[in-house]
Amino acid sequence: MRKTNKMIFISLLVSVGLALSVIESAIPLPIAMPGARLGLSNMVVLVTLVVFGFKDGIKVGMLKSTVLMLITGSVSSFIYSISGAILSCVLMHIAYRYFSRIFSLIGVSIVGAAAHNFAQVSVAVMMLSNTRIYSYLPFLLLVSLFSGYFVGLSSTYIVENLKKNFRVLFSRQETI
Amino acid sequence: MTKGDKILVLFIVLLSFLSFAYINRYAFSEQEKFISVQVNGEEIKKILFDQQLVGHTIPVETEFGYNLIEIGDGQVRVIEADCPDKIDVKQGYISRIGETIVCLPNKLVVEIKGESGEDDIDIMNY
Repeated sequence: MRKTNKMIFISLLVSVGLALSVIESAIPLPIAMPGARLGLSNMVVLVTLVVFGFKDGIKVGMLKSTVLMLITGSVSSFIYSISGAILSCVLMHIAYRYFSRIFSLIGVSIVGAAAHNFAQVSVAVMMLSNTRIYSYLPFLLLVSLFSGYFVGLSSTYIVENLKKNFRVLFSRQETI
Repeated sequence: MTKGDKILVLFIVLLSFLSFAYINRYAFSEQEKFISVQVNGEEIKKILFDQQLVGHTIPVETEFGYNLIEIGDGQVRVIEADCPDKIDVKQGYISRIGETIVCLPNKLVVEIKGESGEDDIDIMNY
């Protein structure tokens, strides 16, 4: 797999993530909680982590939040989302790389969702300089369990499918 | 779902419930707010809420007039006043940080304040 192929594939992944984020914001949630999201675009970051590794995963995550800021135009949500993207990507990488014997992709994705929420709440604490916002974290963690479970489940299918139909992606070590 | 996943899920559920219980018990106790009684702009009394003070009344007798304040469970009201329109009596209980009862003829302000002043969040926006 050549460098150009990889670049195109990564930019495709970023655009899929963007489309998912935009679609996701149109889906109403059954519970009214600010900050609780489905996290569909986390799927893209997880798949990138599995297929291309840590460097490209964090690249996709950061690009996704940056371009999403340009689409939605809200800078404050960009600060929340990029910190969440970085922390969740780092923790998901650690969980996938070193603990993949213990966790399946579902567990990895739950770790990522929880880390994303934790980073978001921490940034809110720093921005509003009020530690009491941490009292909101337990609710967000419970919600992140559900979203993380389904994101992990769908990522499992995606990775299986990619392994079957895009074998070229998984033979990268020899050519790059 | 492997075994590790299930343990992780259990761990997060336990963690969130435990921290929720902890927060409910300690972080938001009623001790953090107090009643501030001000006459003519000066704070003359500062009362912390306490279970033993429920039903207790405090007379405020100044050169401007007379009011009787009653303390409830985390709330406070004015029950007697010698001002003509008795707006302060009609207002009833106040309980949240930042709420006030004002009696203009007697220059009396009863306010509920928090320990750390302006830390109460008005609104959160994402």
